[in-house]
Amino acid sequence: MFGYIRPFKPQLKFCEYDVYQGVYCGLCKELGQVYGQSLRFTLSYDFAFLGILGLSLEPGHVELLKERCVAHPWKKTPCISCKGGGAPAISYAASSAVLSLWHKLSDDKNDRVKGVKGRLLNSGLVIASGFLGGTYKKAAAGNPELAEVMEGAMENQRRLEKSGEPSIDAASEPTALITAKLAEGLSSDSKTKRILYRMGQMLGRYIYITDALDDICKDEESGSYNPLLLIEGVRKPEGGVDRTLARETALSFFRFTMGELASAYVLLPVKRYKSILDNVIYQGLEHTFALVYQGKELPDERSL
Amino acid sequence: MNDPYKVLGISPSATDDEVREAYRKLSMELHPDLHQASPLADIAEEKMKDLNNAFDEVMNLRRGGVSGDTGYGGGGSFSQSQSQSYGGQSYGSSQSAGDEGDNPYMQVRRMIRSGQVTAADSVLERPNLDRNGEWHFLKGSICYGRGWLNEAYGYFSKAVEMEPSNMEYNATLNQMNRARSGQMNGNPNPGPYRQGGAPMMGCSFCDMCQGMICADCCCECMGGDLIPCC
Repeated sequence: MFGYIRPFKPQLKFCEYDVYQGVYCGLCKELGQVYGQSLRFTLSYDFAFLGILGLSLEPGHVELLKERCVAHPWKKTPCISCKGGGAPAISYAASSAVLSLWHKLSDDKNDRVKGVKGRLLNSGLVIASGFLGGTYKKAAAGNPELAEVMEGAMENQRRLEKSGEPSIDAASEPTALITAKLAEGLSSDSKTKRILYRMGQMLGRYIYITDALDDICKDEESGSYNPLLLIEGVRKPEGGVDRTLARETALSFFRFTMGELASAYVLLPVKRYKSILDNVIYQGLEHTFALVYQGKELPDERSL
Repeated sequence: MNDPYKVLGISPSATDDEVREAYRKLSMELHPDLHQASPLADIAEEKMKDLNNAFDEVMNLRRGGVSGDTGYGGGGSFSQSQSQSYGGQSYGSSQSAGDEGDNPYMQVRRMIRSGQVTAADSVLERPNLDRNGEWHFLKGSICYGRGWLNEAYGYFSKAVEMEPSNMEYNATLNQMNRARSGQMNGNPNPGPYRQGGAPMMGCSFCDMCQGMICADCCCECMGGDLIPCC
């Protein structure tokens, strides 16, 4: 579920790349200071996007400083320093990352896995989520409404997967609700919240369909739920998956979602970083989906 | 009162042509046709009004405060009266004008506009309602508001199929068809060869032509000739 919201690097200016990196850096430091050093290595760039989205709406002064980092101590890299207003976006994105990671681990734990490797991975996840328990409680205490929405949505997700829900709209709704709530929390203005909510909904739908297409072969083998597998003709009688049919369905779903995302985005009162947001929304998402559509590997969620 | 130049996104030293270009670009993003059925349509309409007012104010200031011709003809390109005409009222439903109150479809429209989506849906699910074009359109609108875009598309398509001359249903379906063909509102890099992203749909005609020319060159290098006239 992580790693699908990325910029399109060839069209990202160097200064924009620095901002992206810098926000990730700022988030990483925040995670370390508030939630503990071990979580820093779990951070994906999706939350850097959330941070940038939040900062784009804030009027406060934001500057990039060169600072050292534990991941690469031999050189200084740009790191966001927020004075007068930008910091809430970073701390919010950090707690969102913790809450999301917790739910992802719980979700992965519940997925059916086969074989020794699968069972070892599962027990690893059980240990990791046990370890995270205290951190989750801290993040949830700081964002109780968000935590409650996420719990409810994950429960709905489990229920509809168990019942074999065929509608992709319905299947993507819990994810869409989570991302909608995450995005909405970036602003306190009522109109902006509505716009962010709608954008978040569409981003959640995008993540869901891209993940479903990415995992279609793996899910078919393991017998896990995937709404694309429930489309007539996708499962071949002799076994295996008709990927062409699945991806055409995913493509039209993706296009409708992108259209509505753009329609909401043009209403957002962006104060800075518009070119970065444009890059992700108009090019990055399509590029990532295209890679999945073509069955190619995606870069790691912890690299830009 | 907002600074009109800030609303248009330009500096006060911009030329008249730059002002018009800024207005044109923003009005294409906020045009009501592009926000049909969206739950944010009211925000889009408000921003459109602000944009029109900002444009009128700037052009009036530049003409020394004289009202009248503002470059695109009286009161800006999408004047107040025009933008209102795109609201739900003017299109109306397939029912005759003057049907209010106990008309269930008008009731559903009011509920959708005020955000009572669940209540609207339960009215539509009443067994005695005629499942005509209006029913399908309103069902689609509820799905669209909820974010169920695929289902919404199905309902809108059915509404247009049942009432092909209805402008409102066609405008909404066209908006979704534009999205389906890959268009995104406000995209700074539009067009079939827009920068960024591998083409997903396979080869375009240019790709095929290019491929054939390369194949022909390779063939000729080997002593053959794939395309005799090249």
